Amino acid sequence: MKKLSRNPDLVWRDEPAEREGIVKALEGGDESAAERGWVIIIDKGSMHQLNLLAGEIWLLLDGTLDEYEVAKNLASRYDAPIEEIIEDVREFIADCEKKGWLA
Amino acid sequence: MKLSAPLTVNWTLSYACNFSCRHCYSREIEKSELSLEENFAVVDALAGARVAFVNFGGGEPLLYPHLYAVTKHASESGLKVTMNSNGWLIDEEAAAKCAEAGFRSVGISIDGAEAATHDGFRDRPGSYARAHRALKNLCGAGVPTTVSAVIFKRNVKSYREIVSQAADSGAGTVYLHNFKCSGRGMENREELDLSPQEWRDFYEDALAWRDEAPCALAFDDPVIALLGEESSAAVKGSTCGKLSLHLEPDGDATPCGFIPLTLGNILTDGLEKIWNDSEVLHQMRNKEATGKCVGCSVYGECLGGCTARALATTGSFNAPDPHCWKE
Ligand code: SF4
Ligand code: SF4
Repeated sequence: MKKLSRNPDLVWRDEPAEREGIVKALEGGDESAAERGWVIIIDKGSMHQLNLLAGEIWLLLDGTLDEYEVAKNLASRYDAPIEEIIEDVREFIADCEKKGWLA
Repeated sequence: MKLSAPLTVNWTLSYACNFSCRHCYSREIEKSELSLEENFAVVDALAGARVAFVNFGGGEPLLYPHLYAVTKHASESGLKVTMNSNGWLIDEEAAAKCAEAGFRSVGISIDGAEAATHDGFRDRPGSYARAHRALKNLCGAGVPTTVSAVIFKRNVKSYREIVSQAADSGAGTVYLHNFKCSGRGMENREELDLSPQEWRDFYEDALAWRDEAPCALAFDDPVIALLGEESSAAVKGSTCGKLSLHLEPDGDATPCGFIPLTLGNILTDGLEKIWNDSEVLHQMRNKEATGKCVGCSVYGECLGGCTARALATTGSFNAPDPHCWKE
């Protein structure tokens, strides 16, 4: 399967401290925290924010992993069934492709 | 979202300028300038903090003798470099140098649809023609361009022509800037600035026209939340001190070019300390509604509007933006 890489022309930055805050809030029972942004992408003058899972996927798109491997990586880190995660990964990747965010 | 560092640094390398514009915030400021080596160290600090964009403003950046060297170092360090210029000095040779140094785009200031308005406002005969010439030269050199137009009493009726002419000269985006009440802008405010109702009429018209305009339009006024505009940015209200920071020629940091409050010096205090510990930035990031902002239905989006304008006219960060037309 195709290895996935981010479009090198996109400007983006992750915010690890924000991610930490989200994880802490989730641990404290605040489920809405999963929707808070921690990765910023600037595309054609507009700013986009990626939530916890989308941000995690985004950071893995370094050209070494395919869709299944990305899901496997996250499933083991989050101790979640891969069947659940792969759907989210597919959806996010399809969205990235539509937006031209992949190389 | 609280960012670990600014995404954009607006950097004044020198306050020297060959113009004398009637709205200029910086014409009366005098500051020493850093050496080339010191400016390289500033670039390294910005790149190290993962700042994404550097925009040179001024003063006129082309009067700074090491502009291309600093730009080249910055773009080779991964920063996306742009600048705002009055365009006077951008002949074919300068445009080629801009391309070579790695400018991602160059913004040219054009405030009139005809020479009389622009040249009068900028107090420099011939500047309108040279601004359009600069756009064409940059296009010829393959450098993307934008136009910055400050909206004021004498050009508000002809802003569409400014945009169309900018598009004809190759600009991809026109920034329709609100009028800042700083420096000469404050001194000449009575004569130049629009009333709140005139601002509302202008924004209503421009937002309705946006989709048909011959190039992209961009606005920097949080008060347009009153017209249903929602910002895509990671922060709401003014972006100064939340997404961006301003550097002066001596390395001093201010929240933006229009707020003359020194937060520290990037070389002696460091960016991290300035960004994380400044009491001024803390106040700007945590504004409290006062006056008519209390209970305003768009406060969450607008946050009281432009902090620089509020501060300049009332002395308070939290005062409602003087351009706001809400009754
Ligand atoms: S507004 Fe810009 S071009 Fe005009 S005097 Fe000030 S720095 Fe110079
Ligand atoms: S009242 Fe305050 S928050 Fe509401 S639009 Fe005006 S400046 Fe913005």
